Amino acid sequence: MRTEAPRRYPTYAPKVPRTWWLRTAPFRRFAAREFTAVFAAAFSIILLLFLFALSRGQEAYEGFLRWLGLPAVVVLLAIILVALLYHAGTWFRLSAHILGRREASRGAVIATLVAIWIAVSALAAWVYVAL
Amino acid sequence: MSGKSMALRVGRYRPERASEPYVDEYEVPASDDTVVLDALNYIKDRIDGSLAYRWSCRMGVCGSCGMMVNGVPRLTCSTFLREFGSGPVVVEPLRYFPVIRDLVVDMSDFLEKLRTVKPWIIRKDDRPVEEGEFLQTPDEVDRYKQFSMCINCMLCFSACPVYGQDPDFLGPAVIALAHRYNLDSRDQGHAERHEVLELNNGIWDCTFVGECTVVCPKDVDPAAAIQRSKVSTATQTLRSVVWPFGGRE
Repeated sequence: MRTEAPRRYPTYAPKVPRTWWLRTAPFRRFAAREFTAVFAAAFSIILLLFLFALSRGQEAYEGFLRWLGLPAVVVLLAIILVALLYHAGTWFRLSAHILGRREASRGAVIATLVAIWIAVSALAAWVYVAL
Repeated sequence: MSGKSMALRVGRYRPERASEPYVDEYEVPASDDTVVLDALNYIKDRIDGSLAYRWSCRMGVCGSCGMMVNGVPRLTCSTFLREFGSGPVVVEPLRYFPVIRDLVVDMSDFLEKLRTVKPWIIRKDDRPVEEGEFLQTPDEVDRYKQFSMCINCMLCFSACPVYGQDPDFLGPAVIALAHRYNLDSRDQGHAERHEVLELNNGIWDCTFVGECTVVCPKDVDPAAAIQRSKVSTATQTLRSVVWPFGGRE
């Protein structure tokens, strides 16, 4: 799309350093937001493995539950939880930026999202306890 | 004048003298109401007439005097020296643009991209003037007004690491202005802007770093314009696939 007309004058184009994302605090927060998406992917894979084990019968399912109980896996899941909470928080803020026109309505968007989040978590907890 | 002074480190690039840029340091008078542009004018008038930079209105309207001030894209006419304590203040040309001379950057890329999104009202059924104006309600004006405040100062481009990584990215201000016309009730040019905006190097290249909005001196909020543009495109595509008759109303 860019039409490169030959320049009639010399120019200097500084190189962008590979570490640009470390340069300022907002860039570092952006990098943290993007990096924590890796943990969202990791959790999705664990969830898929869980469903796969479930489909292969009781033995496979119980084996998977034993794997989930391993100390190393518990530590991994704890790290994933923290990363996902952070990641979700960043997207609540970003969603508010997209949907809310003024600061007040942005607060309302975040409040709504958090309320939905709590409601869905409570529903999931209730299903887990009830069954 | 309080008699105080401050050091200004100014990025210089003079291709006829040196192939690489360098820094010149100047001592300028600094009172509470001195802005960076005043300091540059002081240097140009009293110390070093060879310094090159762009400016015009001195009041944050024309968008000519954007530069990097201590690493942040700012309008130098609205940036007071007093913000920086005892200094020094580092003034450099806008980041990610090729530098022509000292603090002057090449704007061609921005201007060419701006033209590609057709930032004007497009009508399929143009009416003769005798039939009167296209009326808009205050609500209809409100939908796009914020995005129409852009002064093309390009600070958002210099704040955008996506543009820094990929110079083909359409860029924040250009997308915000395209969005402004797409939101205008008088406009019928959405389809004409579609290809540039929604295909290669358009809205989907944006990773929502959000710094364009932070640096915008006119509160245009290009980041929101781009994300809302993504939402409306995705919704339209989904409707055309899922809804009967392509979701047409």
